[in-house]
Amino acid sequence: MAQRTSATRIAEPEPPAAAGGSGRLAFFLALLRARPSYALGYIIVGVVVLLAVLAPWVAPFDPVRASPADFLKPPGWPYLMGTDATGMDIFSRVIHAPRIDLAIALAGTLISAVVGSALGAAAGYYQTQRGVGAFASGFVMRAADVLQAFPVFVFAIAVVAVLGQSLQSIVIAVAFVNTPIYLRLMRSQVLAIRRMRYVEAAYIAGVSDLQILTRHVVTNAMAPILAQLSVNIGWAILLTAALSFIGAGVEAPTPEWGSMIAMGYQSIITGHWWPSIFPGLALALTVFGFALIGSSVEVLADPARRRALAGELEARRRLRLQARAAGAGA
Amino acid sequence: MSDPRLPFFDRRTFFRTTTAIAGAAVMPRILAISPAMAQAGSTMVIAAPATPQSLDCNFDVSLGTFEAIGALYDGLLGFEKIPDPGVPDARREDISFHPELPGGVNMVGKLAESWELDPSGTRVVFKLREGVMSNWGNELTAEDVRWTWNRAFELGALGAFYTAVSGLTSPDDVRVEDKYVVSFNTQSPNPLLLKIHTNLYTPVYDSTKCKEVGGTDDPWARKFIENDSAGFGPYRLQQLTRGQQAVFAARDDYYGGKPAIDTVVFREVPTSAARVQLLQGGAVDIAQYLQPLEIISLQRVPNVVVETVPASFMIWIELNAKMAPFDNVDVRRAMNFAFPQQQVLETVYQGLASPLDGCMPNIYPGFAGEFFEYEYDPAKAKELLAGAGFADGFTTSLSYNAGDPVQEPIAIIYQSALREIGVELELKKVPAGSFYNMVTERGQPMIFYVDSPWCPDPGYSLTLYFDSKSYVNYSNYANAEVDRLIAETAATADEAARLDMMRQAQEIIMREAPWVFVAYPNYTMARKADIEGWTYYTSNNIRFQDFNRA
Repeated sequence: MAQRTSATRIAEPEPPAAAGGSGRLAFFLALLRARPSYALGYIIVGVVVLLAVLAPWVAPFDPVRASPADFLKPPGWPYLMGTDATGMDIFSRVIHAPRIDLAIALAGTLISAVVGSALGAAAGYYQTQRGVGAFASGFVMRAADVLQAFPVFVFAIAVVAVLGQSLQSIVIAVAFVNTPIYLRLMRSQVLAIRRMRYVEAAYIAGVSDLQILTRHVVTNAMAPILAQLSVNIGWAILLTAALSFIGAGVEAPTPEWGSMIAMGYQSIITGHWWPSIFPGLALALTVFGFALIGSSVEVLADPARRRALAGELEARRRLRLQARAAGAGA
Repeated sequence: MSDPRLPFFDRRTFFRTTTAIAGAAVMPRILAISPAMAQAGSTMVIAAPATPQSLDCNFDVSLGTFEAIGALYDGLLGFEKIPDPGVPDARREDISFHPELPGGVNMVGKLAESWELDPSGTRVVFKLREGVMSNWGNELTAEDVRWTWNRAFELGALGAFYTAVSGLTSPDDVRVEDKYVVSFNTQSPNPLLLKIHTNLYTPVYDSTKCKEVGGTDDPWARKFIENDSAGFGPYRLQQLTRGQQAVFAARDDYYGGKPAIDTVVFREVPTSAARVQLLQGGAVDIAQYLQPLEIISLQRVPNVVVETVPASFMIWIELNAKMAPFDNVDVRRAMNFAFPQQQVLETVYQGLASPLDGCMPNIYPGFAGEFFEYEYDPAKAKELLAGAGFADGFTTSLSYNAGDPVQEPIAIIYQSALREIGVELELKKVPAGSFYNMVTERGQPMIFYVDSPWCPDPGYSLTLYFDSKSYVNYSNYANAEVDRLIAETAATADEAARLDMMRQAQEIIMREAPWVFVAYPNYTMARKADIEGWTYYTSNNIRFQDFNRA
């Protein structure tokens, strides 16, 4: 019975109302109307991404050009967010920063999702078999245990220290610390799915392991991975900024929120708050935006919650119609 | 009776026990700190970037160690002190050239009562004070001085530098003439034979105590000296918890009289902003090594006095003469013409530094400032680069110390300025812990360095940084004529001739620009208004015995 429940949760087909492309969009828009905080998340991330793309055209100044004559100018004109201790324009730097932060976070998270999911799928699929497969599966899981035993930040610092300070190292560090998350998530999904009848049927029909995994198992296990992805991008941005803050991230004067906060925080005590507060706000907002998107994806990717929400939206629609009808009747 | 249902060591018992153990371990520390923070009248609390690592000055040159050596030990001589010309409340050493005095130096005896320099410049005889006791109750004798210099010979490291610059070639050159008389003898005249004994890092050890604790296993008492002291200085070590604090207690039996401040608590507060806050809030009496903007902001705080004086500090960028393109003199000169020195002084140092317009401290005798020609001139820099075959510029890197907050902004400003002459500068932030190693490896094309030659002498200064054989010559600079002038200066006691030769050497060095000349940062004392008596030393440290509470 328990098996059936989990199977239903995972392999449930789309609700008929939301089956078509326009139906899905309508459902999505209805969700945003019902939960304005989700809409806020999409707006924040949308603006950040837009600014990152348009930064070279929107930024009023070169983000890495020091202009010592104008150092530590308070927010105003022409420096909207003021200048830092070397006279670089903070606004130009704040809007250039997501080009680095988002790129690192996206690359790192995607790598970890791909590698983690692949390993997790294999580990889950072969776990119940005998021989080398089971041994390898156990080995991968214990390795993940070891990786997860370290505090994430300490582990990321160690990775960067070993590989040397560069953008690639930070991407690898982000990928490394996140891989076990996807590994475990995918494995737990695969363990449930591989007991399903259609998987057994495919096996009996002589379909190869690789085909069963890619066509029948992984495709049905992707929903929670996608939900995890958007939450993780937010975390990865935070990790990138934290690494740069302690000096293990990008090299100065590359515009990056964490390193900007680090460059500016010493001047807070002398009353110059703007070099670190603005990048700090941008960082906080962006991570917040991704967290909200993560919550919405979680709802959208979970058939049970999606169905409940569809019911709620439908009930609200009916209530509105009734109210309108009552109003017209009066 | 214990509950039979619970396992022998259940979770609750475990938490209770570990909490009790942790509490017991932490409590004494809290109790030890609180009386110090209460600030009794004769207690002085200092917020410093670091506590001493080792107390052995033969091996350690870290920040806190300087203060500790100045408190725990005394040397044979010291400079006479004079009022600072710029800051009325402060005093400083009289390091100017006095042709009428022996060795040209205005000195006072510390552990030495009197001294006699042989006219040949190859021998100096010290008569020690009688009845001077160490912190272990042993009387100072000539044997202590002999043992101290033997230790320097035997252990090498910094000791080897001091024996070499004073022209001593073997332990036998330091001779016990009498119980209280000791002589230093060299083969050829040595101008530093006398001056070297004013140095912070040539203290005298209590050899009786050292021999007693070292025994045959550790004849030079390395382990003991690293963690404790055996000297004739004004303070004894009461506590050293590395990373937290060091506590020094004034000695009643100090030969110069008991210092006015009974107890000095030297607390480690790594961030300068936190040191500022502690001073502002009245929790500490002195905050050391602050950033220029913090110093400016403290000037407005009531009950806090900030004094800043020209110092022997220098900050520069080493241009590696063994790495292309800096093996080319014109490229090195171009790098200087492209450095916006004035902007850096105004922006980064807030005027609390003067332009580095020479290759040794400008407050030392023998300094020649007239050879500096590198006013900011990008056009001239471009012309020099074109002449050197780099009309399109080049790409190189500059390494800077993450632990020194002024270096990053200087590097960023320089990077922007260099773009104008086509030079692309990659910035490398190096953790403070590995920065010094990176400097000594000489593997970087450009790297920052901050230093100060402690002996106020042109020969000493130029030998350190520009003698091709010197360990501290981190830019790999080599010029046969400079080497010859340095060698001759080291072997003559004729002060006028020495100054003339060192002038010639400075002219060559400034023209060949082995450094990017950055700044002479000031030394700044930030203290509570009731702490008096500050004296500036060329070793850039404070000595607790100078202070008193008004």
